[in-house]
Parts: sequence; C-alpha cells; structure tokens
Amino acid sequence: MPRKILKQTVPGVCLFLLISLQAQLSPQESLHRVWAVKDCRILSLSGPAVEKGSIIIRNGLIEAVGPNIPIPPDAEVIDGAKLTAWPGFTDALGQSLLKWPEEKFDAAKIYSGDFTDKDKGITPELKAFDLVNLGKAAIEKYHTHGITAAEVLPDKGVLTGQASFFSLGAPDKNKALLLKENAFGIGFSPAGFLVYPNSLMGVVAYLRQAFSDASYHALAKSRWQKEMRGSERPDYNGQQEILAGYAASKKSFIFLCRNQHDIRRALSLADDWKIDFFIADLGSEASLVIPELKKSKAKVLCTVAFKAPGTSLYSQLGKEQREKAEKDIYPKNPARLAEAGIPFAFSSLGTDDPKSFIEGIQKAVEAGLPREKALDALTGAPALFFGLDKALGTIEPGKIANLVLATGDPLTKDAKTRYVFADGQKFELKEAKAKEGEKPAVNVSGKWELSVEGGLKLTVEFMQEEGALSGKMTTPFGAFDFTGGTVSGKEVYFEMNITVGGQQLDLYFSATVEGDTMRGSVVQGTQGSAEFTGKRIP
Amino acid sequence: MKSRMTILLAALLIAPAALSPARPTAKGLLLKNGNVLTISGGTIAGGDILIEGKTIARVGKNIAPGPATDVIDLKGKWVMPGIIDSHSHIAIEGNVNEMGDLITAEVDVKDVLNPEDINIFYALTGGVTSIHTMHGSANPIGGRGIVLKLRWGGSAKDLIFEGAPTTSKWALGENPKQSNMTGPGRARYPKTRMGVEAAIRKEFEDAKQYMREWDDYNRKLKDSRAGKGKKPLPLPPKKDYRLEAVADILRSKDWVRCHAYQSEEMLSIMRLCKEYGVKLVCFEHGLEGYRIADELVQYGVAVSTFADSWAYKWEAFGTLPHSAALMAKRGVLVAINSDDAERMRRLFNDAAKTVRFGGLTELEALKTLTINPAIILGIEKYTGTIETGKDADLAVFSRHPLDPYTVCEMTLVDGKVYFDRAKYLDDRIKAETEKKKKEEDAKKAKDKKIGAEE
Repeated sequence: MPRKILKQTVPGVCLFLLISLQAQLSPQESLHRVWAVKDCRILSLSGPAVEKGSIIIRNGLIEAVGPNIPIPPDAEVIDGAKLTAWPGFTDALGQSLLKWPEEKFDAAKIYSGDFTDKDKGITPELKAFDLVNLGKAAIEKYHTHGITAAEVLPDKGVLTGQASFFSLGAPDKNKALLLKENAFGIGFSPAGFLVYPNSLMGVVAYLRQAFSDASYHALAKSRWQKEMRGSERPDYNGQQEILAGYAASKKSFIFLCRNQHDIRRALSLADDWKIDFFIADLGSEASLVIPELKKSKAKVLCTVAFKAPGTSLYSQLGKEQREKAEKDIYPKNPARLAEAGIPFAFSSLGTDDPKSFIEGIQKAVEAGLPREKALDALTGAPALFFGLDKALGTIEPGKIANLVLATGDPLTKDAKTRYVFADGQKFELKEAKAKEGEKPAVNVSGKWELSVEGGLKLTVEFMQEEGALSGKMTTPFGAFDFTGGTVSGKEVYFEMNITVGGQQLDLYFSATVEGDTMRGSVVQGTQGSAEFTGKRIP
Repeated sequence: MKSRMTILLAALLIAPAALSPARPTAKGLLLKNGNVLTISGGTIAGGDILIEGKTIARVGKNIAPGPATDVIDLKGKWVMPGIIDSHSHIAIEGNVNEMGDLITAEVDVKDVLNPEDINIFYALTGGVTSIHTMHGSANPIGGRGIVLKLRWGGSAKDLIFEGAPTTSKWALGENPKQSNMTGPGRARYPKTRMGVEAAIRKEFEDAKQYMREWDDYNRKLKDSRAGKGKKPLPLPPKKDYRLEAVADILRSKDWVRCHAYQSEEMLSIMRLCKEYGVKLVCFEHGLEGYRIADELVQYGVAVSTFADSWAYKWEAFGTLPHSAALMAKRGVLVAINSDDAERMRRLFNDAAKTVRFGGLTELEALKTLTINPAIILGIEKYTGTIETGKDADLAVFSRHPLDPYTVCEMTLVDGKVYFDRAKYLDDRIKAETEKKKKEEDAKKAKDKKIGAEE
C-alpha cells in the first residue's frame, strides 16, 4: 500500500510523505530481548580469558557469562564458535555524533559589529543532548569498529557547551542516554572576528573573568536568598549560572588543549578554580607535561590524530621535520603516558570518524603502547572516568550488555566485527556481505544523479574501494554522508540516515549498474519503496 | 627579503638535535683571554671571566682555573654583556593584539608564552640573552608584557626573568585610532589622538572608583568583624580583572611602556601620567624624541627606538638617522630595540649605526643594547654589564661587536652555553650527511630489490 501512495505523490514531496508514514508506525523496536551467545571465546577484561563460554543477555543487561552456562529456553541463540567477545569500546570524547544546525553566517555583522555570543565562541547553553544524532547510519559507523558508547561534547569556541554520555544502542536518544550534561567544555580557540576575546591571550583573560563572575553571581544569589530583606538582588545571568552550577555540583570541566602549552594553561586555571577536570590532549603532547599532570592528578583524554601542533618545533622547521615527527614521535604519546602511570582514555576528537579513531589507536600500539593498556583506555578507564564502572567496561553479570563479537583479536588489523550488542540490542554488521558476495564488476566512484519516481532529484558522490562503498548524497534537505555500502558484481547497495524537518529517516538504496546508468529502488524501513534511475554526471 | 630566504632555507636544514640547548657546565666555567667589554669598567684586553653556577664570580686578568673548571679560550674574540632587546613580540602564541576591545589591560602576555618559538633560538644566535615581549599597539592600554631570559629548551615558566617588574603596554597615535584598518568592520572609538588620551583618562577614573569601592568594603569588613557578627559580613564588590590591572598601573606596580611617535603626544601623555602618578618608564619608538630631549630627561622617561627605521607611515616621518644619538648625547636613556624577530639577530649592527651616523662613542652605542635596556626593564641589578655578582649572560663575537664583519659565536645565559656556532654548524653538517646516507642506503636497498625481482 505505501508503494501505491508513493506513486501518486507529486514531485518532490515523497520523502515528506515517508515521514508521516513513519510517525504512524512503531519505531524499529527489536522483537527479541533475550540472547545467548554460545561457544565463543570471551575476553571479559574482568578476569582471565574464557576459551569457550557463553554470554546470556536479557533486557539490556548481561545476565550470565562463563563456561557451562545453561542456555535459557526463551533465548535466541547466536553461534559464537570462531568468534571472540570483548566489552564494547567507549569513545571518551567525541563530537562526530552531533548534528550541528546549518546556519548561514550573516556577513552584515562584520560591518555592523553586532556579534552574538555564539560568534565569540561563548555557548555554554549548547547541549550535546539536543544536538546528537543517533540515526542508524551514524551509529553503525561506530558499531563497525566495536564502539558502543560515547561521551559527546559540542567542542567549538571558548565556553563550548555541555556533554552527555550515550550508549549507542538506540536511535532514540532518550533511551541511549546514560549521563545528561555530565561535563562542560572549555576551549582555547578565539573567534576570528573583531570581538573580545579575539586572541589567545584574550581568551585566557576572558576565562579568568568568567569564572570569577560565575562564583560571584552564586555568592550574591545565595546572599539574597538567605537575607531577602535589605539585600540587593543580583540580575539573572544564565551563562554564569551554568558555570557556577557545574562547579558547585563537582561535575567535570573538559579542557580542549591544542598543545602542551594549553595543557599548562588548563592546569593553572583548574588549580585557581579548584574544579574537577579532564585534559583533552588534542595536540598529543600530554607526554611533555607529565610531572605537572602527575602533580595535579589530571585525567587525560588522548586523541590519536597525531598531528604536530603549529607551535611545535617540528612544525616550525618545515614539512619534512613535521611529517617525520608525526610518524615517529607523536604516536608515542599514549605509550609514554601509560609508562608514567597517567590515567587516560581515548578520544575521537581530531580523527572524528570511528575508522581513523581505531586506526590511530592501532598506531599508538605499534608505537609501544601495550595492547592491554589500549584496551583499558577504551573500556575500563572511560567507565571509571565518568563514574560508570558499575555499568560498563567489562563483560560481567549485571552490567549493560555492550559487547563486540568479532573474528580476530581486539585492535588487530584482522579483527572483523560480526555482531555488536549495545544496550542489549543486537546489531549484525553487513561487512561480511561484501566478502561473501561477488567481486565488484563495476566502479561507480564519481558523481551520479539519481531520479526517484515522483520527480525527486538527488546527487551522489560515490567513493568505491574494491567492494566497499561510501559517499555523500545531496538532497533538497541537505547533504548527508554514508559509509558501509557494498558493490558486488554489478549490484550496488548502501544505506543512509537523513534528517528531514528534525526527523530521522533511514533509507536503503539498491541498484544494478549498467555502464554509466543504474536502476533500482529505495526503501524506507518497512514503510515503502520507490524506484529510481541514476546516471553518471560526466 | 633575501636574508629571510636564507634563514628559511637554513631552518629547513636544521635537525632539531642541532638546536639542543644548554651545554651543561661542570663546576665553574672560565672564559679566558678575550677582549672583555665590561661596559661598567672599561675594556680588558686579554681578560678572563670566571663563572660559578649562574653568576659571574670574577672579572680580570690571569684568573687561574680550579681543578674542575671548564675553560673556553677566547683568544682574539670579544665578549660583551648579553644583548637585551627591550621591545619585541616573539615567543607569543596567537595574536599579539587583542583587537576585540579598546582597553584590554587585563590581557597578559605571560598567559600565552610559547617557549618553542624558534625565534628564541635565532635571537640567541645574535647574542641576545634577555627580551621584553609584549602586546602590539592596537589598544590605548593593551595589557601586560613580560621580561624573559632566553633559556631555550625549557617551559614557559623557565623563560620568565625572575625579579623583573611587570609592564603595561600602551599605544598612542595611528594604531589605536585604527586609521590604517581598511577592512570591513564597525569603526571603533576613538578616531583622534585626543580620543586616545581621553580613553586612558576615563579608564583611570573608573579604576579609581573601583579602588574606592574596595577600600570602602575593606573598611566595612573590618568594622563588621570588630562588631563581632551582629550584622552579616558585607558583600564584596565584584572583581574586575581589567580595572584591577589599571589599578596596578595607578599604584605604579606595573611599569608603563608607551608606544608613541610624535613629540606633542609624548608631552601630553607625560602630563597625564604625572597627574595620576603613573610610572611611565619608556616611550616605544619615540621617533620625534630628539625634539623634546630635555623634557624627556626632566621627566625621567627613556626611549626604546630604532637605529634607522622611519617614514613607513605619516606619523613616522619626522625623524632622522641621528635621532637616537641626539637623544643619548642630551642625556636621554636610549635603547636600540628590534620590534622584529629578524632584526633581533643583528641588533649589534643597528647599534653601530649610532656611531656611524650619530657620532656616539663605541661605549655609548653598546650601552643602548645592554645597561640602558636593563635599567628600562628594571633588571640592571642582574644583567647589562660584566661585573662580579651579576648573572653570567654573555655574548662572544669574532670581532668587535660594532665591526660590520663581526659574527656572534657563542651566547651564554646564566652561565650556560645556549648557542655555540661551531658546534651548531658541525651538528648541521652531521645531520645533513646522515640524511644523505640514509637516502642513499634506501636507494641502494630499492635497487637491490628490483634486481632481485629480475
């Protein structure tokens, strides 16, 4: 029936129709809540490895784990032979799950000088919870690399915004949420406009004043609340209340440090303000500040892009020196932190897509970081950092069922994720499909125009690497990336998650390629499909 | 331009190892048999300097080394006190101007020191051992500057010259007026020289009011404590870091360094500073200072200037290559400064121009790079001359430092060798040879592989 409706739609509105259909139907809730993974190797990270055992998952939690566990009669059984299970990884600080609102910058401001706080990078009210996008395509990218939880932070500007912690098991953020507004971001990047603060030194001065103002505001407010008669009432100030609130409730501040000098700045500010904090080591230079980090008992969120900061000597000495340092020196940063006993977890900032994130961690392992330390920095350490060690980090009864089933060992090149459980939801990964399928007989790399029945026009830029397909699609509702597509023989298949009018929408495209044209259909969940044709844009 | 290219090329060739700082010294270091330009006590031909720890222990002739003393023979070389650049903008991360506001007294260069700035090393190659690094000139009151010792290779903290007073950078004239800003943007008050001074005066008045509020609060607090808690303690005024910084200027805690070109505006700001009791220490550039030399002397304000840099904008027209010398002869405390990372490496050439054009004596010229800037920065107790008890900040030259063909061969800070040209060049050649060898080996291995496949 939906198909019929689609065929009758006027040009350009079919996707909107799809949304209204989706709204009437129940969300993609799983039918099963009980699973048994049988006969797999288990790296629980809470004790020695179990060579052959089972994991029982019920209602989102791990019910039992170990050898000789009886399989409950109501469980759907997954044959775990040839698979290894380990706890799902946590991205201890990322922003790539955020969907920033598309906003046009009003150039008239440059002339009028009427800049907003947002232009200045002062956005304490921004909440990751409001901006997060946990659509199917978005979280699948994470699942493919075994990541099942993430601390997400709006990371732009000076007072960057408020983080939340999600378990990546459901597209519904209300279900995925573990900790709401649990940390606050502070950056050292001034805005590029003629507005205060527009220099790094201005940013430091601004931060000093902002914290002083916040604590003063809190003091004045409590004075007034205590003694209303005869005492002056302070004006309401939302920004100052946010800052003071975080400080008073002992929540953490996350300093986004672009180099070793930012780290020292952050430690000094944190010491002045007596706050709980994390150092996000964006420049991979924390290992140059080890004595100071030790002294202030800092916890580090280690990034793995390994780009030499512009301030570093290597960068100043030219491309050759910089590239050499990025290859030989910067990847040693996590290993040195581990050696020095600095507590750290891994952050995807800078790498952003989960693939390069995990590759970066592999690089750190090659550069001397013990594999078990790397695993801890992806599991136990972030759980402990965010006070979630009772719920996450290991495969143990009672913990949230976040785990990975894969061939190979974790963080090795040949590890291939087959299943991911996130919040007890099972996700089967498609990568195997390309492997099982034929070798690709076509290469669709390049720009294509797709005409969907009903008159909707879409442009896609495909990137094909052997059987793997990724790309970017431009729609009337914005541009959207996708990964995890496949090409086998002449068949193309890819999925994407788009947002239309604030609604998440999963689309599944499949087509057969013939020379510079393709013909196929697009399905939206189980709610309907439409035919489309495509031709290559020369 | 050409010199910049050469430096750039040189930079590309340097391996970081060749920049390694500070050759460690054993128990004491004796610089032997050089021509010692003490600045304060004449020139000692064939003189020795004994360094113990970071301090000059003895200066004289035929000083015998102890059993553990390192000795460097300086036969035929010249030693002078390490050069002090009283006006520079290196070792700062990010913009050197906070353009977002008119008065930004609270913005502090100390917060953004970049100890990895390679210009620190390049400055050492020109015999510079201490610098004053500060804001640009975009604001009537830009913010706090800082005096550094070029202890290359350490952290920002290691760079700070302990005991030096903090400074406040001001600017008058075209730059704070933003008259050269042609890009888009809302015009910022002020647009006249009168406005610049009025902005400073207004800030003083605000700061005085702020100080009164705090005095008042402290008095109330005292009374309230004496009354043993009958009433709740008074609420303190809100802390304002900008006004705190201006208050520190009014309390003469921060030494004022004022960028100015024209004689009238210098006279005018001197009157303002006198009125408010501000410690105006030095005019930056002060190109027309020679016109008001007597007034400068009478006020007791120094000038930190260029040897021969002018006419780059209209307010810089009214000067002469003789300006520094004319002022110095009239008794003004004059320093020759760089204002520029490249010029910083050849300040001794610039000082020589005051001899060539202005007729200063060699000693007077050398003072513009040593004791004069030391006095301006309030660090003359520690450095600026070669004397027993002062920090062993020294520069060794191949010829007299004012000789056009001279080359700085070695620079010591706190008795440590931070730059040694011979070693530096040697390291560079080694690094290049090593690199070449690696490339050749890689090529050979590749050729071999191709051969094997055949």
